[in-house]
Amino acid sequence: MGSAPAQIPTSFGHELRACLRCRLVKTYDQFRDAGCENCPFFKMEEDHERIVEVTTPNFNGIISVMDPSRSWAARWLRIGKFAPGCYTLAVSEPLPEEMQHLCQEERVQYMPPKRM
Amino acid sequence: MAHNSDDGDYSWDDDSELEEEEEEEEEEPRRSRRRSNSDSAGRRGKKRKPSGSIFIDSEVAVDDDDEESEDDEQEDGFIEHAAEEVDHRQFNNEQFRPHVNDEDDLEQFDNQYFQERYSRLYNANEYDNEHEELTDVDQQALLPSVRDPKLWMVKCAIGREREVAVCLMQKVIDRGSDFKIRSVIALDHLQNYIYVEADMEAHVKEVIKGMRYIFANHKILLVPIKEMADVLSVKSKTIDLSRDTWVRMKLGIYKGDLAQVVDVDNVRRRVTVKLIPRIDLQVLANKLEGREIVKKQAFVPPPRFMNVEEARELHIRVEHRRDRMTGDYFENIGGMLFKEGFLYKKVSTKSIAAQNVTPTFDELERFKKPSENGEIDFVDLSTLFANRKKGHFMKGDEVIVIKGDLKNMKGLVEKVDEETVLIRSELKGLHYPLAVNERELCKYFEPGNHVKVVSGTHEGATGMVVKVDQHVLIILSDTTKEHIRVFADHVVRSTEMSNGVTKMGDYELHDLVLLSNLSFGVIIKLDSEAIQVLKGVPERPEVSIVKHGEIKCKIEKKINVQDRYKNVITVKDVARVIEGPSKGKQGPVVQIYKGVLFIHDRHSVEHTGFICAKCQSCVLDDSLSRFGNFKTPALVPPSPRRFQRADLGYNSGAGGRHWGGRGGRGNDLLVGAYVKVRVGPFKGYRGRLVEVKDKTVRLEHEAKIVTVNRDAISVATDNVATPSQYNMGSQTPMHPSRTPLHSCMTPMRDSGATPIHDGMRTPMRDRAWNPYTPMSPPRDNWEDGNPRSWGTSLQYQ
Repeated sequence: MGSAPAQIPTSFGHELRACLRCRLVKTYDQFRDAGCENCPFFKMEEDHERIVEVTTPNFNGIISVMDPSRSWAARWLRIGKFAPGCYTLAVSEPLPEEMQHLCQEERVQYMPPKRM
Repeated sequence: MAHNSDDGDYSWDDDSELEEEEEEEEEEPRRSRRRSNSDSAGRRGKKRKPSGSIFIDSEVAVDDDDEESEDDEQEDGFIEHAAEEVDHRQFNNEQFRPHVNDEDDLEQFDNQYFQERYSRLYNANEYDNEHEELTDVDQQALLPSVRDPKLWMVKCAIGREREVAVCLMQKVIDRGSDFKIRSVIALDHLQNYIYVEADMEAHVKEVIKGMRYIFANHKILLVPIKEMADVLSVKSKTIDLSRDTWVRMKLGIYKGDLAQVVDVDNVRRRVTVKLIPRIDLQVLANKLEGREIVKKQAFVPPPRFMNVEEARELHIRVEHRRDRMTGDYFENIGGMLFKEGFLYKKVSTKSIAAQNVTPTFDELERFKKPSENGEIDFVDLSTLFANRKKGHFMKGDEVIVIKGDLKNMKGLVEKVDEETVLIRSELKGLHYPLAVNERELCKYFEPGNHVKVVSGTHEGATGMVVKVDQHVLIILSDTTKEHIRVFADHVVRSTEMSNGVTKMGDYELHDLVLLSNLSFGVIIKLDSEAIQVLKGVPERPEVSIVKHGEIKCKIEKKINVQDRYKNVITVKDVARVIEGPSKGKQGPVVQIYKGVLFIHDRHSVEHTGFICAKCQSCVLDDSLSRFGNFKTPALVPPSPRRFQRADLGYNSGAGGRHWGGRGGRGNDLLVGAYVKVRVGPFKGYRGRLVEVKDKTVRLEHEAKIVTVNRDAISVATDNVATPSQYNMGSQTPMHPSRTPLHSCMTPMRDSGATPIHDGMRTPMRDRAWNPYTPMSPPRDNWEDGNPRSWGTSLQYQ
């Protein structure tokens, strides 16, 4: 497997949150300790407030990706380039404006959730 | 660089990235087209559609051969113009040439190509918006191919789907490359199963070994390729709840109750809803005072508005509080907030159902009550319509716009196209049809239109519109003559006149049934929800509304009773009530049971005209000539007669009912009829009537002619008079197609057999009366005409 895997959520309760950009799922505490492996620029480990801004507990479905580069599902969900880990299929809200600008500055891709 | 073209070509170096993306998009379809058109698979340039050519605008018209050469040239051009881009293009080209030469799966090629391409783009740090544009086209390209890993469905313990997914993740990470699965998917809305993405089933089996919560013995199902993408599509069910949305509670004592959203808190996923309280004040009072109450199990108090005074009487503390956020005053009783009688409750979003919530009229009415506010009605309905699934506008429907600038404009539907409806208005100045969103439209009807209800609680009813009130129509039902309120959307114009729902499950309209509590009655109205039964209580009309399950069975027994004057009455006879609450009413007897007659009086409005009366309070009506409009078949003289039970000859009068248009005691009718003598010395004789006098008739009996009392005879329906049977049929009072009642059938009763053959009765009931159905069974011997044979032979098609 390619890159080092992201942390795996340690529990399943309400603490589970999904990163709004890469849709990685971890607990609040895990984000606080190690930030988001795919989005280091958010600097969640430094700025705890930010965790609440860029992650959400409202998400739908979980997909554990062991091998993103060779997984069709990961490709379909556009997480084929991210680190192996647990992701969610969809988040409920888009990234706040400010954060979107941040993404643009960092030249990373961000796709807002589709509204059906 | 003037290759073949256009000026715009080489501007790419300025906004190269952008253009590139866009043009590449167009590329796709073109590429595939060309590919399919190409003859030789091996022509590299063509297949590949190397990036160079995209910069030529007029490609479509260009010849293949030219293309190729141009391509090459183009590419060179590229190289000159943009070093870094070109590198990567070249690289691409090189990479793909060999692939193209192989007879690869085109899709795979696609996938790979895009993958590579986009991976480079990613790395090149493209801007976001460009990717947006590509998305849709892209997604198509990412559909699974045969070379992709497959999805396998694995059964697991309910509620553990997420846990299993994460555990598998952990397991695979720990064991490194032992396991060859690619991903595991746990969907929120699919319980009991997870999906494992792997190339082979064996891989799946391998990884789930030893996993708790997975049913390893259960069959592993393969997901078909076409369904793979659907697995990963999440239909966002979050109807963004907004204020005034109608929802239904899913949990608690208010389960199933209608509620209106008052406030939404997305952050914490809670909403405040407004409900009709179901509070038992007594219990509450007891609780607050600390008294122990014996709580009745599963007792749900009925919904009732909170009355503050009542609460105070019971010494429950009522606090007037001001809610911080909205600024409104609330009454705080026992920790619950009330306002204007409604209970305001904060619940989690998960415990309310927001989809497909269609409040019925009653519920809406109740919500209106305490506020007495006319406005609410319209507000409610409009929010109602906002969420409802409509979509049955058809060409030719008359509609009216209910929202937006064109509100209140009427028009005719010309075309329906998914959500947009094209309507043509009559107004001057609007010559062309207008496109309107279907949510802004509503069907329009004018009073006087005849319509049919096609959905909702009154489905199947037809009637005439008497009032139009925004979305609500008031219709006078054809069958029940009641006013029913329906939504305009549930109704279509129709000239159909229904008899109402006549059959629901096992029971038909006008069946005599036994209810679960051992009372009996006649079904007078069938609904999709409940059945109305007129009970067999002669003293007063009693109707009970029951559900299907409450009806025990149908009562099939055919009984005859005697009326006040000892005339025998059977079903289909006309009887008149001469005493009691229904005095004066008359009509054919529909059912008889336990000495109680159920009569259908057409003129009576209540309970669809059904009356229940004791047989003693009625008298058989013979002088009714109801068949004025009745056409008897030319052929037959012998008037049909009915069989009658034993003794009572029937008064010839009684036959009046059967004798159409002949006015009561048509003597002529009897002549020629084949009769059987029931009483007296000639009992048992059969013969043809030759002469009829007041009291006596003369029978030609086989060998001789005898005179018998009129009373003593009962007419046998006979073999000869076949058509007569049909006459009988025809004579039954039947109002053309309106009355769901007995159609033309006079029951032929065998003297020996008591039960009337239902076989005969039933089929005829539904049919328009047809006197000539040529099915009379010529029976030699009516006596032993066993019921069965009759029954079958008289089955109408």
